Amino acid sequence: MTDRLQSHAAFNALQLAAQTRWNEMWEGNRLIVSVGVDSSSEPKGALRVLAACRQALAGTDAIVREVSGNGAMWMEPTVEIKRPGEPPVVYGWIGPDDVPALLAGALQDRAVGVRGADAFGEIPPLGEHPFFKHQQRIVMEDFGVIEPDSIEDAIARGAYNGLIKVLFEMTAEEAIAEVTASGLRGRGGAGFPAGIKWESGRKARARPKFVAVNSHEGEPNVYKDRRIHEGDPHKILEGMLIASIVCGAERAYNYIGGEYPLAIKRFRKAVVDAERLGLIGPNILGSGKDVEIRVRTGGGAYICGEGSALMYSVMGVRGQPRTKPPRSVEEGLWKRPTILNNTETFANVPAIINRGGEWFSQIGTPTSAGTKMMTVQGPLKHVGLVETPMGIPMRILIDEVWGGMRDGHQFRGVQTGGVSAGPLTEEHLDYAVDFDSMTEIGGMLGSGGFVVFDQHVCPVDFARYLTAFNRVESCSKCVPCHRGNPALVEILDRIRLGGGSREDLSLMERTSKHIIDLSLCGLGQVAPMPLLGMMKMYPQDFLDHIDNHLCAAGACPVSATATLATAAD
Amino acid sequence: MEDVAPTIAGPDPEPSPERYSDNNLENEIDLEEVRKILSHFHYRDFQEAQELILSALQEINEHFGWVSFDAAEVVAAHFGTTATRVYGLLTFYADFRTEPRGRHFMLLCHGMACYVMGSQRLVENLEDVWGIADGGTTADGELTVQVVNGCLGVCDRAPICKLDADFFGDLTPEKLNVAIRGTIAGRGSWRDAHHPVPAGSNHDR
Repeated sequence: MTDRLQSHAAFNALQLAAQTRWNEMWEGNRLIVSVGVDSSSEPKGALRVLAACRQALAGTDAIVREVSGNGAMWMEPTVEIKRPGEPPVVYGWIGPDDVPALLAGALQDRAVGVRGADAFGEIPPLGEHPFFKHQQRIVMEDFGVIEPDSIEDAIARGAYNGLIKVLFEMTAEEAIAEVTASGLRGRGGAGFPAGIKWESGRKARARPKFVAVNSHEGEPNVYKDRRIHEGDPHKILEGMLIASIVCGAERAYNYIGGEYPLAIKRFRKAVVDAERLGLIGPNILGSGKDVEIRVRTGGGAYICGEGSALMYSVMGVRGQPRTKPPRSVEEGLWKRPTILNNTETFANVPAIINRGGEWFSQIGTPTSAGTKMMTVQGPLKHVGLVETPMGIPMRILIDEVWGGMRDGHQFRGVQTGGVSAGPLTEEHLDYAVDFDSMTEIGGMLGSGGFVVFDQHVCPVDFARYLTAFNRVESCSKCVPCHRGNPALVEILDRIRLGGGSREDLSLMERTSKHIIDLSLCGLGQVAPMPLLGMMKMYPQDFLDHIDNHLCAAGACPVSATATLATAAD
Repeated sequence: MEDVAPTIAGPDPEPSPERYSDNNLENEIDLEEVRKILSHFHYRDFQEAQELILSALQEINEHFGWVSFDAAEVVAAHFGTTATRVYGLLTFYADFRTEPRGRHFMLLCHGMACYVMGSQRLVENLEDVWGIADGGTTADGELTVQVVNGCLGVCDRAPICKLDADFFGDLTPEKLNVAIRGTIAGRGSWRDAHHPVPAGSNHDR
């Protein structure tokens, strides 16, 4: 279709055409069926639902669209139906066999809500559902609304407006000032202010410079970045382009975990489309700015989420962290200044440029501005991906947004910060979820992954699981982490088998201190944190295992006669 | 499939050797084909060549189910590096296999969501009933398992596994065994889950 756009005006014309087409589609009198297809709904048969819809509506003028899910994994597969003269209604739990009945209008009991402000008959707006009520979506704004494979949809919804602004209306200083004023902090876990990083990136004198996106997400409980790629890849791409232009980088990398085929496919499609339109490449829209985008895939190593390891992985060697300084913004990819941020950080940038840093800083808390995408797992009713303002109390998240515990499951605790921090218990649930509040009590916002566990999970066994994860995923560069984590697992196994003693507790604390103090990278330094957190929050469970050979959850093979050899590895 | 085979029975105690060699043959790596895959990976300079090594290995691993040392040598030659360096990558990154897969391939999610919902019992069950641990293949060559420490992203149905192209959720050891037996009885193979890279993809970027 369209050739490379050569000017700002040409983009405006394309945008107008896309908006007109978009409005005509939604205001017209054709049936619109949108099936949510992403990595969590696909295993539940979403592709077959899509095929069934296409088959049932073949030969009619109905529009069947492949959108992404809206984060509500608990009701997938979802189908949104817009009939002429009616608002779009989202239906949940639609299997391939339900499609004929759904299209015939028979499954009204599975209507979850109306996408829009007003109720339609008995169907309330989706926003009134507790899962959606507390959410405020910036990154996820268009999840389930646009077709991720369609750049026209994205442009109709305002994609690349921020890029236009930094190309033609703002100076680089102004753009960075907006990012700084917004208070946007890195969404990967450390929470470093993005504006400061960008500023030092812009000031770095070595050439060429690079921008890199950390979409690796190797944590055993987080899938938010994958879902941004699947739901709205153009947001990431636009953020990368903006960062490249304001920092003067000529090439931007997106490093995606190799195990996310759909995310890679949709992002690559976005890159190909944007390049076709001239939004990427030499002389973008005639502005004289050049940016090249490269997609690189990882090989399933948790450590590659660490900044320097990620860069080594991009450069095609083993991903093992190096000492800092120099920081990556001084010496990163190919020894050149590299501005590295998390996917979600970049995806927030277009909105900040469009609506201003001031607007963004009003959302959330004074020290943690904006919204945060959060994922939850465990025996909860409404498991899914949400985006809420920073500072929301954990209790509201668990009890309302995620629907509370399923029947027969009793809340025991919630593990925070992936494998890098400790758990929170019932008494800590009123703490706000932001970068700073939870660290006081040994928790961590991290990348926003929370795991709720119930009475069937033994804290000792859980601590072993988390330590064993770090043992497997240690890159083996530093001895304290490489040898220390196996040692911790061994001691934990001794306790799990009933052969532990009280000295083991202090031994674990000493070993942990060694790992924390002597490891090189951020991941090694926090590897024992989950264990220390578990010991702090559930001391009685550890003592029960040691003194009474008792595992309340029934998960550990505690018995005085067992030997280490029988421990499941 | 939920209702078949009410009792737990492991694999045939006397696996037939012919089938295993069949499987091996199926997974044998044709170096000409490796070269054909590599011909899509153009590079303009040293940096780009280095950056593409991992992507190329990913694709070969997807295509054949594993990467042999011979294949690693071909890859090294294409990108102008050494085979030991390439092999070092294969053993560092968890996604790569340096041994052939069995006929069927299972990704058993052992992420935190699956752990809190009981995936530890599934891992133990695999060892007890099927005699395989992470990365292992059953003696009859029917099933290879890879325990995923990351996350398959279907956490509301945890614990979950992906057997060839199909997902099985809300697993118990019994359900897992039923799923494995059903898959082995069926005609599929791990190739059903192959994700071909779409034509016109931007490898060369």
